[in-house]
Order: sequence, then C-alpha cells, then structure tokens
Amino acid sequence: MNFTIRAATKVDCKDISRMIMELALFEKMTDQVKISSEELERDGFCPNPLFECLVAEVPKENKSKEAVSLHVPLGFTTVGYGLYFYTYSTWKGRSMYLEDLYVMPEFRGFGIGKGLLSTVAKCKALFVQVAKEKHCARLQLSVLDWNAPSRDFYATRGAQDLTVKEGWHLIRFDGQSLDDLGNDAQKK
Amino acid sequence: LNCSTRLEIFQRDSKQRQKGEKKKMANFIIRTAQPNDVCDILRLIKELAKFEEMEEQVILTEKDLLEDGFGDQPFYHCLVVDVPKEKQTSEGHTVIAFAMYYFTYDPWIGKLLYLEDFFVMPEFRGFGIGSEILKVLSETAVRTRCSSMHFIVAENNTKSIEFYKRRGAADLSSEEGWRLFAIDKEELLKMATK
Repeated sequence: MNFTIRAATKVDCKDISRMIMELALFEKMTDQVKISSEELERDGFCPNPLFECLVAEVPKENKSKEAVSLHVPLGFTTVGYGLYFYTYSTWKGRSMYLEDLYVMPEFRGFGIGKGLLSTVAKCKALFVQVAKEKHCARLQLSVLDWNAPSRDFYATRGAQDLTVKEGWHLIRFDGQSLDDLGNDAQKK
Repeated sequence: LNCSTRLEIFQRDSKQRQKGEKKKMANFIIRTAQPNDVCDILRLIKELAKFEEMEEQVILTEKDLLEDGFGDQPFYHCLVVDVPKEKQTSEGHTVIAFAMYYFTYDPWIGKLLYLEDFFVMPEFRGFGIGSEILKVLSETAVRTRCSSMHFIVAENNTKSIEFYKRRGAADLSSEEGWRLFAIDKEELLKMATK
C-alpha cells in the first residue's frame, strides 16, 4: 500500500486527536483523555511548541473502511501518527522521547509503523547533527507491560526494556497530590 | 512564586536525635541556577550517577550544560540549593543540592513538568531540603500550567520511592504496567538509514 509520512500541520490536529482517542481505547484508558484538538493546535503550533508530530497518509482510494469504535465515522486518509518531544539527559545531554506511535488497525502490516519510527529516528539523527553529534542519541518511550505486539515491535528494532533490565519505574504526581505538595501538606 | 525562596530554620541541635525527629539546620536558599553554576551542577550530576552506580555514563561537560541550559532555547531548567559558607562541604562547596527539569507533553492531559534529576548531598539530608525543592517544583508546575509532574526512579531505590509515596505519588510502572524502553544510537542509525 502506498503511504506518505510528513510533518503534521495545524489542520491535522482533528485527525491526530481522533487517533489519540483510538490509541487510548486500545490502552483501555479513554477516561484519562482530557484534551481536544484545540489544545493540540495551541500546544503544538505556537512559537515554542511543546511537541512535534508526524502523520502517515494513504491515497483517497485506500481510505479507511473499518470502524475503530462505534462512534467514529469511516473514510479517513490520515491513518497513523508519531508524537515526540525533546528531553535532556544529565548523562548525555539533548535527547528525544517518543510519546505516541499509532497506526489504525486496518493499515497495519504495510510498514507504516516502521516508517513512522524510522522518520522519528531520522529527525533524531538530524537533531543530533544539529546538536553537533556528540550529544545524546537515545530515543525513549513507554509501553504497557501487557502490550506484547508493541513490545515485540520495538524489541526487534533494538529497544531495551529498562524497567525489566535496570528496574526503572515511572512515577507521577498529579491533581490533589501535586496541589498537596505545593501546599506543603506532608503526610505523617 | 519567587524561586529564590529563603527559609529561616533554627540552629542545629547538637544533642543525639531520636529516630523520626526532624533535624534542624541553618539557612539554606533554593534558587534558579545561573550560568556560573554549571560547574557545581556537573559535580552533583556525577555524584548522583555514582550513587546509581553509573558514573562512567556521564559524558556531559560544563560547556554542554552552558549551551543547553542558558542559550536561546533552553533544553532544561535547574534549581540549586546554597548553604552559607560556614556550612560548606569539606571540599569547600556551598551548592549542595539540585533539581533539573523540563517540560514534556502528554496527548491526554497536555503540558507536564518532567523531573530529570533530583539530588541532595548525603550530609545535607534530613533537614527538609528535598521536601522544599519538591514544593518549589510543584508550585512551578502549577504556575506554568502543567497537569502533572513525572519522573523515573530505580525500583531498588526504596528510600526515594517511599519519600515520593509518602507525598502522594503514584508508581505508574507498578500500578498501570508502564515500562520504560530505550533505543540507542546504533539501532537508531540503522533505522534512519534504511
């Protein structure tokens, strides 16, 4: 199947928002999605964007036919995305984090996911070149432990599970716990 | 919030302390790092890496820290903690703690504050410095419109995990099954050149 991968524009935010929800549905966490396409437009296409995004497109004749969920209409030509941002490692310097990588189920198996990941890797290589090459060349991402197909996808491309290998755990403060921290409401 | 928070804390008590009683210390200042702090920041980065048994992995230099943190487009932000000269370390340092953070993005909730490194020199622990740094960070997160603060901790670092859990943090790896993955340079180049 023919497809193209390109940098997202503001106009793509409605499709990206749709696919974010589809990925959340797959991860069984749709109730955790709180933002919409308007916030994506504001945060990704402002003078200091908080993220960058790639989208994968197919020609009109290959537009989507299968519904990902009951509420989503058919006929989409934007069928995948990769959302990433720049981070900083105190060991190696400038780095990158791949936050989301998603291809609609009916478009899997055609190399679109691999294409998105390679393009992110190229952006990384370009970024590293711009950052004088000596800087960090590591791409990080998180995967749910039960998501075996995704874990395999990354493992075949050389990714290492640092949670299993080195024991790293992801920790979060949000909502009340973040407020409490700020208000110095320390638990005894 | 003014990040140069100054806290008045009482003189240290020289008597033997009961376990669990909070120790007290002379003044310390939490402030935003300046370009001339990069030497101290690198020193503390290496001390934390040593504690994590990964000191040889630190290839960052002072020049990198300067360019990356104090140029036109900062890739990180940093808080440092000063103690008065009379409390300096045996090697004469007065910068005794740091926290490095930057802003990331969660497509579900938006802007986040990501805490990359957080370290208080061992001899300065137990005085509430870590707690105050976390407080400044969380105030920064709220002020800059972040929904959440994330970071990673090694599972064998039980003291740190307890420190965060006491303050209401959630361990997303244990509770939701998130695993951190990394793809290193050689593998990235293979993918990029295919």
